[in-house]
Amino acid sequence: MIKDITIGQYFPMNSPIHRLDPRTKLLFATVYIVMTFVSNNFVGLLFCFITACIVIAVSKIPVKTVLKGLRPILLIVIITSLLQIAYVKTGIVLVDVWRIKITSGGILMAVFMTVRIALLIVMSTMLTYTTSPTSLTNGLDRIFAPLKKIGIDFHTVTMIMTIALRFIPTLIEEVDKIMNAQKSRGANFDNGNIIKRAKALIPLFIPLLFNSIRRAYELANAMTCRCYNGGKGKTTMNALKMKKGDYFAVIISAAFVAGVILLNIYCGEYNAEFTFNAAV
Amino acid sequence: MSHLKTENLSYVYGEGTPFKITALDNVNIDLEKGELVAIIGHTGSGKSTLVQHLNGLLKPTEGKIFLDDENIWESKSKVYDTRFRVGLCFQYPEYQLFESTVYKDIAFGPTNMGLNEKEIDERVRSAAKYVGIPDGMLAKSPFDLSGGEKRRVAIAGVISMEPEVLILDEPTSGLDPRGREQILGLIKNYREKTGKTVIIVSHSMDDVARFATKVIVMNDSRVENSGTVDEIFENSSRLSEIGLSVPQITEIFIRLKKMGYPVSEKVYTVEQGHSELMRLFAERGIV
Ligand SMILES: Nc1ncnc2c1ncn2[C@@H]1O[C@H](COP(=O)(O)OP(=O)(O)O)[C@@H](O)[C@H]1O
Ligand SMILES: [Mg+2]
Repeated sequence: MIKDITIGQYFPMNSPIHRLDPRTKLLFATVYIVMTFVSNNFVGLLFCFITACIVIAVSKIPVKTVLKGLRPILLIVIITSLLQIAYVKTGIVLVDVWRIKITSGGILMAVFMTVRIALLIVMSTMLTYTTSPTSLTNGLDRIFAPLKKIGIDFHTVTMIMTIALRFIPTLIEEVDKIMNAQKSRGANFDNGNIIKRAKALIPLFIPLLFNSIRRAYELANAMTCRCYNGGKGKTTMNALKMKKGDYFAVIISAAFVAGVILLNIYCGEYNAEFTFNAAV
Repeated sequence: MSHLKTENLSYVYGEGTPFKITALDNVNIDLEKGELVAIIGHTGSGKSTLVQHLNGLLKPTEGKIFLDDENIWESKSKVYDTRFRVGLCFQYPEYQLFESTVYKDIAFGPTNMGLNEKEIDERVRSAAKYVGIPDGMLAKSPFDLSGGEKRRVAIAGVISMEPEVLILDEPTSGLDPRGREQILGLIKNYREKTGKTVIIVSHSMDDVARFATKVIVMNDSRVENSGTVDEIFENSSRLSEIGLSVPQITEIFIRLKKMGYPVSEKVYTVEQGHSELMRLFAERGIV
């Protein structure tokens, strides 16, 4: 159960996308997410969808694994869809019973929003699937490095992120282990009312907290021993370098932006039935 | 009559994912009451996975587990019951202490069993005695104890349930020689006093040779061999092939034999080694 959470996970593979510079991938993911919001018609969205399919295919990550990442947002998607159906009253009336009135506009809007949210999640998941946590924070570190000139030390933030990401699997493993150990002494995590269940978590959380604090001290000592001083004058062993593939990816990003804008201009007008104002 | 038995037990971690690992492959073991069983095998050979099946923590992918000839997965209540009848103490159990006092932590198991206060008190005190925790320590916070003391408190937390089978997963790992001796001594003492079945997962061949009545050798998710200490350590070359060794004292005698001394290679403890040397000395008129 706890192992089913896929957002933020890395899926190691040897693909051109995995090999890209993390900054390129961050750029593309940001551009993609913004453009799915800018896109205001189904043709544009189809264009975004096809782009996502190409990215997934090139990355060699199994489609099933990508779709698994969508499971946690199912509830959000359902609620959004219901709201759209309830509020949008344009188009042909399909159902009109008692106080419920469903229109074609509402249905289309619901589908539109669902696809948009799904694409957004898929692309952010693809970013973490194809980029190792260290490489991702490395990229962020470099992108935000100029902020130092105005007094913001982003390095601390990326270091916190790196450490947090590094310890997620460790914590998951530990939760598993402590749970099993307490179950061996008859602890019952699955039955009883809410108060009983909350109480059953005490034998889990106290050792977890205690061990985390202990580990934090150990890590701080280990870092101090290796002369970590908060990133002052720090260089990296594997300095990030933009390669040919990265410039290619940047060009594709630009083409993608242009494509969505053009589709907005041309299809947004002619396709009256499918036209939606993104601001609704 | 067999006490604890597995039948064609197999277990796969992460079934249906690209990361699936077969941790147990058709494992059959059969233990009698009162035995002191040692499970040995290289890291990742499936020892911990095996012992977690014996008290019903992991559900077999295939196969069955019998406690007193009853399938432990027959019903939900039976599994829960098995947790108390087969006590499992994990590796590094000191990291699972959580109560405000040592007393309360040892009492956690018996409390979950639904015993009354008087019974719980008796069990906590008797378990503390077995592991050598003085009464004065019971009111302390478990987080204030030394590593070895914490480990003994954690073991007491399992003993206090008075399980019919006590399983300890690498109970001496990470301890200094004195701590190790204490733990091994208390396990031996516990078994002699109560006559209960004890299973130890161990990395130390020397310890295994000293205590075990039966040895199970795991290799790559399977049971490679099982038998008495003599039967297992006889074949030292096969053991080193699968990443294990014979006790250090056996190593010495194998070497002596190679050097041409007429000694037996079947020496597995220091005591045996001592008498074998004395025999040799007497033969040659040295003593
Ligand atoms: N919780 C787990 N999830 C996935 N794989 C595991 C888990 N626990 C153990 N394994 C794997 O199962 C195999 C057997 O492990 P284990 O039973 O812990 O061996 P041992 O105790 O002999 O070192 C190893 O390959 C290990 O990586
Ligand atoms: Mg183990």
